[in-house]
Amino acid sequence: MWDDQFEQILRTFLPFLPPQEPLTTDDELKDLGLDSLGMVQLLGTLEDAYQVRFRDSALTMGTFRSAGTLWETVEGMLQRTTS
Amino acid sequence: MAYDTALVFPGMGPVPFADVGRFMVAHPVARELVAVADDALGYSLVDAFRCSEGDYSEAAQVAFFVNCLASAYWAVEHLDVTPDIVAGPSFGEKAALAYTGALELPDAVRLTAEIARCLESYFAAHHKDIVTLSFVRAPSEELDPILAELDDAGEWHEISCHIDDGFWMVSLAEHRVEWLRERLRGIGSLPLYTMRPPMHASVFAPLRAKAEREVVSRYTFADPSLPVVADQDGRLLHTGEELRTMLLDGFDHAMNWPSVTTALRDAGVRRMCVAGPDSLFGRVPRTTRTFEVVAAHPRLAMTPRRRTRAA
Repeated sequence: MWDDQFEQILRTFLPFLPPQEPLTTDDELKDLGLDSLGMVQLLGTLEDAYQVRFRDSALTMGTFRSAGTLWETVEGMLQRTTS
Repeated sequence: MAYDTALVFPGMGPVPFADVGRFMVAHPVARELVAVADDALGYSLVDAFRCSEGDYSEAAQVAFFVNCLASAYWAVEHLDVTPDIVAGPSFGEKAALAYTGALELPDAVRLTAEIARCLESYFAAHHKDIVTLSFVRAPSEELDPILAELDDAGEWHEISCHIDDGFWMVSLAEHRVEWLRERLRGIGSLPLYTMRPPMHASVFAPLRAKAEREVVSRYTFADPSLPVVADQDGRLLHTGEELRTMLLDGFDHAMNWPSVTTALRDAGVRRMCVAGPDSLFGRVPRTTRTFEVVAAHPRLAMTPRRRTRAA
């Protein structure tokens, strides 16, 4: 499961997700209000927060499909950084 | 002369009926414009839009045009917006023509519908393999070598839109899109969407000629009531003839948003009202760091507002 920082960041890009509503792994981010420009801004915010750089296969629409797919990508980059 | 407030009509993106249908039938300003459009078209715009297929059908295009104009009139009435200067990147050119009075509203509606039909018939027969791919985070110095590779391979391509630093739309053959996506990801760029019909490339000069012959030549363009910034190069336009040329240039010249924002800033603009269902022009960093942006979105117009009690 993701950390608090990830959820805090992600929620700011999901205008249709009420603050009291839980965010689940499979929720489609598009349905929660993440559009393409939001995706671009989210990408930059996550890179700054986690000191990672999205490249290659991480840069697909599929990465931003759900909170789960996005966290999986971030976590994968973090593991590569620390190993 | 200094200009304080710019009114911008956005380029068109996909807008589902569900997002704007209620605005079109229930908002008094929109309803009035829809009635004019119905008369001009000879059919119900709302019904046609509701039943239309594809993001860029004739009805979707006219609906986008009407919703942008209605949003602008609503913003003038309710958001304290008094435009001094107007711009309309890409599809937004048509609403700019109507708002400034270069074309009367019924003529602008008909022109929008007829251009949509013209595009459909042209691309049904020509350039069937060309699409426009949008992507972000591609600085020129890293993008240029990739485009040079396409040149070396003898593959036609052209920049159709420059939106912001590193944000581009490139037209190319569909069979090279996957290759380009891959190469872009390699430099840290995020490919977004492919669009069809494609637009704004010199190879579409025959489409420009067809549109001029079959549609544009049948309309007379009056001088605009406010200056209009050309979306191809940021020139300030003051005559109907210049606006007509801008409309035609839109077929075969690239759209350049940075040139528009620079021109507006240099003209003294401080506040920018983006009127319509925009998800791009009013939000890119180039816009938000330069101007105070007022997003006059149909969704906002449908949000109940507290009445201010008269003193």
